[in-house]
Amino acid sequence: MTEETITDDCKGLVAAGASLVWHRRGILWWVFGVNIALGALGTLPAARQLKYSLGHRLAGEQLFKGFDLGMFYELMRVPDVSLSRFATASYLFAALFALFMLFVSGGILQEYRQDRKLSTGDFFGASGSFFWRFVRLTLFSLVPFALLGNTYLGIEKASDYLGDKAVADQVGFVVWLLGIIVLVLITLFVRLWFDIAKVDAVARDERRMLRSAWKGIDITRQQVRSLLWIYLRISLVAWITLLAAFLIWTKLPPTAVPVTFVLLELVMLVQLAARLWQMASVTVWYKRYAEAATAGSADFPTPLPEVIEPEPQLPLYPDIGLPAADA
Amino acid sequence: MQPRKLFLALVIGLLYSASLNAQTPFAPKVSGPLSERVVAYQIDAKYNPAQHTVDATETLTYHNLTGQPLDRFPFHLYLNAFQPKATWMREAHRDGNFRSSEFETWDPKDFGANEVTSFEVIGMGDLTKQMKFISPDDGNPDDKTVFEVRLPHPVAPGQDVQFRIKFRATFPEVVARTGYKRTFLLAGQWFPKVGVWWHGAWNCHQFHSATEFFADFGTYDVNITLPKSYVIGATGVPTSDTDNGNGSKTVAFHAEDVHDFVWTADPNFKVIEGQFDGSLGPVKIRLLSYTSHQNAWQRYLDVMKGSMQRFDQWYGPYPYAQITVVDPPHGAEEAGGMEYPTFITAGTGWFAFKGDHETELVAVHEFGHQYWYGMVATNEFENGWLDEGINSYSEIKVLDNMYGRNASNFNLLGAQMGDAAWLRGYYLPVAETDSMARPSYTDMSFESYGGVTYGKAASMLISLETIVGEETLKNALHTYFMKYRFTHPTQEDFLRTVNEVAGRDLKWYWDQAVYGTQVFDYSVLSADSNPTNWYEKDAEEKPGETTYETQIILQRKGDFIFPVEAEIKFDNGESTRVRWDGKDRWVRYVYRKKTQVRSVELDPDHKITLDRNYLNNSYTTGEQRGAIHKIAAYWMLLTQFLAHALSWLV
Repeated sequence: MTEETITDDCKGLVAAGASLVWHRRGILWWVFGVNIALGALGTLPAARQLKYSLGHRLAGEQLFKGFDLGMFYELMRVPDVSLSRFATASYLFAALFALFMLFVSGGILQEYRQDRKLSTGDFFGASGSFFWRFVRLTLFSLVPFALLGNTYLGIEKASDYLGDKAVADQVGFVVWLLGIIVLVLITLFVRLWFDIAKVDAVARDERRMLRSAWKGIDITRQQVRSLLWIYLRISLVAWITLLAAFLIWTKLPPTAVPVTFVLLELVMLVQLAARLWQMASVTVWYKRYAEAATAGSADFPTPLPEVIEPEPQLPLYPDIGLPAADA
Repeated sequence: MQPRKLFLALVIGLLYSASLNAQTPFAPKVSGPLSERVVAYQIDAKYNPAQHTVDATETLTYHNLTGQPLDRFPFHLYLNAFQPKATWMREAHRDGNFRSSEFETWDPKDFGANEVTSFEVIGMGDLTKQMKFISPDDGNPDDKTVFEVRLPHPVAPGQDVQFRIKFRATFPEVVARTGYKRTFLLAGQWFPKVGVWWHGAWNCHQFHSATEFFADFGTYDVNITLPKSYVIGATGVPTSDTDNGNGSKTVAFHAEDVHDFVWTADPNFKVIEGQFDGSLGPVKIRLLSYTSHQNAWQRYLDVMKGSMQRFDQWYGPYPYAQITVVDPPHGAEEAGGMEYPTFITAGTGWFAFKGDHETELVAVHEFGHQYWYGMVATNEFENGWLDEGINSYSEIKVLDNMYGRNASNFNLLGAQMGDAAWLRGYYLPVAETDSMARPSYTDMSFESYGGVTYGKAASMLISLETIVGEETLKNALHTYFMKYRFTHPTQEDFLRTVNEVAGRDLKWYWDQAVYGTQVFDYSVLSADSNPTNWYEKDAEEKPGETTYETQIILQRKGDFIFPVEAEIKFDNGESTRVRWDGKDRWVRYVYRKKTQVRSVELDPDHKITLDRNYLNNSYTTGEQRGAIHKIAAYWMLLTQFLAHALSWLV
């Protein structure tokens, strides 16, 4: 199959990914639940200290009925209340969540691959069996991510330099923005590359992660337009949701804390769903094209064989009931 | 050119020239002199944009009004501060920063210099070789910001002496209120300036990184030659603009009753003009800005008019014909936020949000300097707070009046901040460092100078309102301005004026707030209510029937003694205010009522900005959860988001 054909099928893949996330929504609820729980634990020291400092003080009213930055500064000046102290707990629990996600990635991808609810034992069995492999893969991914980090510093320097030379104020910002857009696309590419590697490792029970990583970049490189477009569209949904929530938030009265909390958590839910959506979409893609292609060959062929067209007679997702357009 | 066209051009040229010449430096209802004119500067300067240098000849006429013969004259050469071994640079390196610049390593772009090539005293000959650098403040032998010359024979009291000085000014890339950026130049502190004979001695400090300037009033006639394409602005008013026919032009400026002269030039400047109709007639507002800052042009004009109107109404009239407002280009932020006579630099950006009042704040602040620095003209080396502190207080009053007390500094996306709170933020970290009365240039650090000179001084005046009243303090400032404008008053002059207008001796306050470093911190230590029949077994508490004894303890935690007010609220809606002289370490208030205390709050009107800790100023018997839940909810989301972002990477 040519990349054009796959690109044409992108819409179907994105929809199939969404459908998969929805059908296997138990995963989303679990991930969201753990995110909330760890977020709450990370906030606990801050809440406790705030209660001590503001619990019986009228000063809090200036933060509740509006948000007085002067009073917030006063609060942060209290020796026991400091952003850095609060942040330590947040960093810790955020890292725990990342570790959790790394751990359950194997189970999530296996459940998406099989598109059936795995038993708890099977789920965690798959999670455990892939955990150390994915740790290795993550370590490999540090190389491109570190390079991207350095690239960002380069973009900042370049935008500062060009902005400094230009008469118009906006030049530096425009250079920075363009650099960021390119960087985001490259970051998505790297994420995609290692997601493909993970999916490949699960599909073939691959133990040699370096091989999966090479395969991941090979596939991603060949199908870059179609795959990146899938990830980009899902990311756009997440970003637009964030923007919409921000606009709604600006309309809420400052004292509407419960409503704000629900809104913020909905935003979080969408962000997490978007990440699972990306994983599900790439799993579907892999099953439809790469897995079928490798079925007839030990090595991943380039280009993908024509045999995939038309779609296999047996529907891949009979229980989802994909629309004809996807077939 | 055809004769008719030539004639027309001549007529237009004459009319234009006449209109320039007709400009006086004063507003219509003013005629000079307004000050005791000690100095008269005539400078012919030529700007070289490629080298960022100015070659000039300065003729200074000094009128000896000191009442005694003078044979020694010190001069400032401020631009020599921008050299690695200079005192200014040592201090900036020690403190780690100046505004946005960091001086961890030496950058050749920061180099600046004033080089005097010839120093002649008319009638006494060339004294270039007699010039001697001195360091009266710190003895730094490498500091060349002050030099002195001994004359062969003294200048008698009442006589004039004329100096002819040829010099070259080399500007650094914008740092500390002066310099170039691309095609932009702010020529501040660029010419040799004589010291001030003050209280029986020469006052001519070295240039220090934190403090600003001090100079005598006089007149300035300055001719500046520069490329024709440049738009120029300066202190005073333009009197002629001559095309030299070689791609350059010479613009002449005239100013009277000012104590400094600054100019700026850039071919990319856009000129926007407005007018303020003050009590002495119309004043032209000339804004020099950039196309990319277009969205701020109207904001500048609006805030300038609003500010000028309030200063005119509250403190006194602005007597000059023009105020030039310079909006520096991006990257030249250190040229922003500075005051010179009839000339201020502000600051904004192409993305400046309307709710962020920084654009307005800087304009109001710098305009305020026209009063406290420009006309009252105190010694900024020694009593920085008399200018910066009183001006910060005026800035708060103007911004609060224009945008509301709680949002005068910032009001965006549901967050607000009053300007008083913002300035207090500077003071809080340095409350235990320097007194306001300490010579400013000897303050502990750049941070403590800023915190004390701006933040503490403004907080001191805001807090003083609770003693003398806001109107009385306004009258005191008005009296001080009208009485001491065009002189060089001391802090004692200011404090005495407030005492006189308030009709009371505030020595107890000045001793602590101005001369001392006492820390102000009052708190509500406890507040609770207990049934008076506590000893009765099985006694039931009945709302509205049971009598409670309420005990409230207020505490003075700091060593600053100040009368404070507390508001006590009860469950039945009743409230009362008590006033404590604050002298003892604590005080107890007891009430017997058929209701229980709900809350106690010190300084319920939130006026005592000197209080170092606002959080302990109140106590509520019930728990206040709103703010805790709100901040915790946002913090939780941030934690969740961070967790998600990290997990995305793995």
